Amino acid sequence: MNKNEFLNEIAIYCEFEDSSMTLETILKTIDGYDSLSVMSMIAFIDENFGLKFSAKQFQNLTDFNSLIDLIGKEKFDND
Amino acid sequence: MSARIIDVKSYLPKNVIDNKDLAKEFNRWDPDKIETKLGIRERRISDVNETAGDLAYLAAESVLHNYDRQKIDFLILCTQSPDFFLPTTACVLQERIGLRNNIGAYDYNLGCSGYVYGLAMAKSYINTGLANSVLLLTAETYTKHIHPKDLANRTIFGDGATATIIEKADKEHIFEFDFGTSGSGKNNLIVPNGGFRHPYAQNPELKYTDSEDIYSDNHLYMNGPEIFNFSIEAVPVTVNNCIEKNKTNIDNLDYVIFHQANKYMIEYLRKKIKIPKEKFHSDMMLTGNTVSSTIPIAIEQALNDKLIKRGSKVLLCGFGVGYSWGTTIIEL
Repeated sequence: MNKNEFLNEIAIYCEFEDSSMTLETILKTIDGYDSLSVMSMIAFIDENFGLKFSAKQFQNLTDFNSLIDLIGKEKFDND
Repeated sequence: MSARIIDVKSYLPKNVIDNKDLAKEFNRWDPDKIETKLGIRERRISDVNETAGDLAYLAAESVLHNYDRQKIDFLILCTQSPDFFLPTTACVLQERIGLRNNIGAYDYNLGCSGYVYGLAMAKSYINTGLANSVLLLTAETYTKHIHPKDLANRTIFGDGATATIIEKADKEHIFEFDFGTSGSGKNNLIVPNGGFRHPYAQNPELKYTDSEDIYSDNHLYMNGPEIFNFSIEAVPVTVNNCIEKNKTNIDNLDYVIFHQANKYMIEYLRKKIKIPKEKFHSDMMLTGNTVSSTIPIAIEQALNDKLIKRGSKVLLCGFGVGYSWGTTIIEL
């Protein structure tokens, strides 16, 4: 998947309901973002990339681009 | 010698707090969304003066209603909220329940894995001839550990107790076990203060989570995402190990009961392990996460709902605080 597909899919999976979300959206500013959201993101990444990150690594994230960096840019298709 | 579960009963405290009550108090989440995601609508809360010992007593009375209590020759209580530092709550219960004096009784401190460990101990006592009839109790009042302003944990946890009678049988009904422990996760589900490492603080510093929940070191702290990480790593392995040790497979099992942590987590585990939905228990709607009591409550529910019956082969898997985990297969 490319980065924008990733954004769409993770938003649906985690039930983020903000349609104006972009790759630059700061995670902690998403309406209703909480520990359940982090749990959902962990599940999404485990399911789609087979990767596990600690809660601390999630806490240090800023926007979706930083999450993509954590997963590894090379795992995404070019737009 | 062999062991078999004879009966399982639960007791839940009377006070009910539902999601709408919490939504009114906190005004920052949608009760329906929480119910859909976590699978919890209500949880039972013990009274201020109602202890784990009280809940365990009432669960024991329920299971002993149709059983000669003079036959019980071992009493084991799983709790992390004992009535006293000492004496042992199980000893207090021996007298209160009216059990014989020439029996063994003790508490053990485990959380969500506790019921599986209790079955292992009961089986061991019976199979080595140390006991013929074991009363296994689980009882928690975790809600007393939670800060009143900690919405996340108040949503998840409920209080409750269960009582199980395990008796000598002609053939084995409690099969092989798989156990696991990793103290590396100790800080992710913990009540730091109140023991001798960190005494209870008179004016503890208040701490805040990203979700605006408040807690202190006198209270229960749970790092939900880390517990989720641990669970998705440990549970598939222990389930697989247990299935291998028992030389069976999921198709040969009638039913699977995991610790009912929350619906989201156990559904994710179910899919990951590829357990068919129709043979997987997922019901903590009216109880929340009752820690060591979730598995026996689920057995009782599934029997009442005729999802399982005498003779059913059921895989049980408990996992959580410690970290500690354990899995076994029983025949009811």
